[in-house]
Amino acid sequence: MNYNFQFNVVWRNFDALLEGAWLTFQLGVFAFTAGLFVGLICAALKTYGPWPVRLLVNVYVVFITNTPALIQIYFLYFGLPDLGIRWSNEACVLIGLTLNAGAYLTMILRAGFLSVRTAEMEAGETLGMSLIQRIRYIVVPHIAKSIYPALANFFIVILVMGTSVGALIGVDELTGQAINLSSVNYRWLEYFTVTAGLYVVLTFVASLGLALVGRWAFRVRARIF
Amino acid sequence: MPHLAVSDVFAKYGKLEVLHGISFDVERGEVVSLVGPSGSGKSTVLRTLVGLTPVTGGHVDVDGTSIDYHSARAIKAARDRMAIVFQQFNLFQNMTVLRNVTLAPTKIKGRPKAEVEAEAIELLSLVGLADKRDAYPDELSGGQQQRVAIARALALKPEILLLDEVTSALDPELVNEVLDTVRRLAGEGMTMLLVSHEMSFVREVSNKVIFMDKGRVVESGPPGQIFDAPTSDRARDFFGKILRG
Repeated sequence: MNYNFQFNVVWRNFDALLEGAWLTFQLGVFAFTAGLFVGLICAALKTYGPWPVRLLVNVYVVFITNTPALIQIYFLYFGLPDLGIRWSNEACVLIGLTLNAGAYLTMILRAGFLSVRTAEMEAGETLGMSLIQRIRYIVVPHIAKSIYPALANFFIVILVMGTSVGALIGVDELTGQAINLSSVNYRWLEYFTVTAGLYVVLTFVASLGLALVGRWAFRVRARIF
Repeated sequence: MPHLAVSDVFAKYGKLEVLHGISFDVERGEVVSLVGPSGSGKSTVLRTLVGLTPVTGGHVDVDGTSIDYHSARAIKAARDRMAIVFQQFNLFQNMTVLRNVTLAPTKIKGRPKAEVEAEAIELLSLVGLADKRDAYPDELSGGQQQRVAIARALALKPEILLLDEVTSALDPELVNEVLDTVRRLAGEGMTMLLVSHEMSFVREVSNKVIFMDKGRVVESGPPGQIFDAPTSDRARDFFGKILRG
C-alpha cells in the first residue's frame, strides 16, 4: 500500500464535477416531481377506479417495480429506436426515471389513500364535494402530512440511485462526469472519493430542504440525520 | 306540507336490508328525535337522507319535491338542503377550525372568501369557539370538535340539520356544551332530525319522538306520550329498561 493520492487533478476539474452534480439534482427533482403526478393519478385510480383500470395500474406497477431501472432505460434508449422512436439520452433517462418513480410512488401514495379516515371522506361527500374535490382537499393534505417522510426518503433514492443510471447511456450527471474525468488520467480513487462526498452533500442539502418544506407546509417534524 | 316527508323508505347495506319501510314527517321548524335500541336503523335513516346509504325503495320529499337518490345531481341538491353532523365529528384533521368551516362554502360553492370567513367567525361565536379559529382539531376537546362540526354543517346554510348521536362520543361533562348549541338552534327555529340516547334532552327539546326497532317505526308521538305512556310492548320494555336505570 504505497498509493500516492493526488487530489490536485480533481480540484482542477472540480467545476466539471459540480456541473454534473447540478445535472443530477435537476434530473432528480424533475423525475421525482413528474413521478409524483404519475403516482398520484395511479394511486387514485387504483383506489377508486373500476376493476379494469385497477388491473392496468397493477400491471404497470408490477412490471416496473420488478425490473431494474437500468433495463427500463436501456429499453427506451436501445429498444425504441428499432420502432422508429428516437429520444435523446437525457430524455430517455428522464422518462425512464419518471416511469420508474411513478410506479414506486403509486405504492407509497396508495398507503396514504388507504389511511384516510372514511369518516372524513363521508363528511366531505355530505358537504357536497365530488370525488376529485375530496382527493384534492382531503386526501392530498392527509398524504402530504402522513407519508411525507416516506416521500422524502424516496426522493433521495431517486436523486442518488436513480439518476446515476444515466451515466451508462452517456448522460453526464455526477457519476457520468466522474467516469469521464477519471478515465482521462486514471485517478479513479480520488475522483470517486470526491464524487461520493458530493453525493452526500447533495442529499444533505436536499434533506434539509425537504425537512424545512415539511415543517413549514405540513406540520411535519422530519429527521434530517 | 311537511318540510321533510319520509315515505316507506327501504335501505340496504350490501345485501343486508336495514330499513324495512320507514315513514314519518317533520314539519318546518320542528325538532324530531329518533330513539330506539342499537341497530334499529336510526343512524341509517340519517345516512340515507344525505345519500350515504343507498335507498332501495320508497321516497323522500323535501318541501313536497321528491329526491331521486339514483341521480348524483339530485343527491347533491339534497345535500345543499340537509346537513349532517356525525357522532365522531369527522372534522378534517389537517385543517384549522376556520378552514374546516369555510372549505365547502368557498371551494365547493365558490362564494367569496371574505364574506364566508365573516360568517364562519359568526358561527364559531354561536358555538362559543371564535377564539379557536386557528387551532387544529387534534388540539380541541371532543365537545369543542363537535361544536366545530356543527358550525361546519351550518356554514352551508342547510334548511334541515341532521344530528347523528352528536353527544355519544363525548365525556359526560362535555355533553352539555353541545346540547346547549342544539337547544339554541332549536330556539332559532331550525328544522332538526336527531338521533340521540340523551333521553332527558330528547324529551325537553323534541316536538315529536319516533321509536324505532329492527328497521321499522314502532310508534311515534309527542315526547310525553312516547316516554310516559308508550302503547307498544317493545317501547314499554325499552323505556322501562333505560329510564329506570
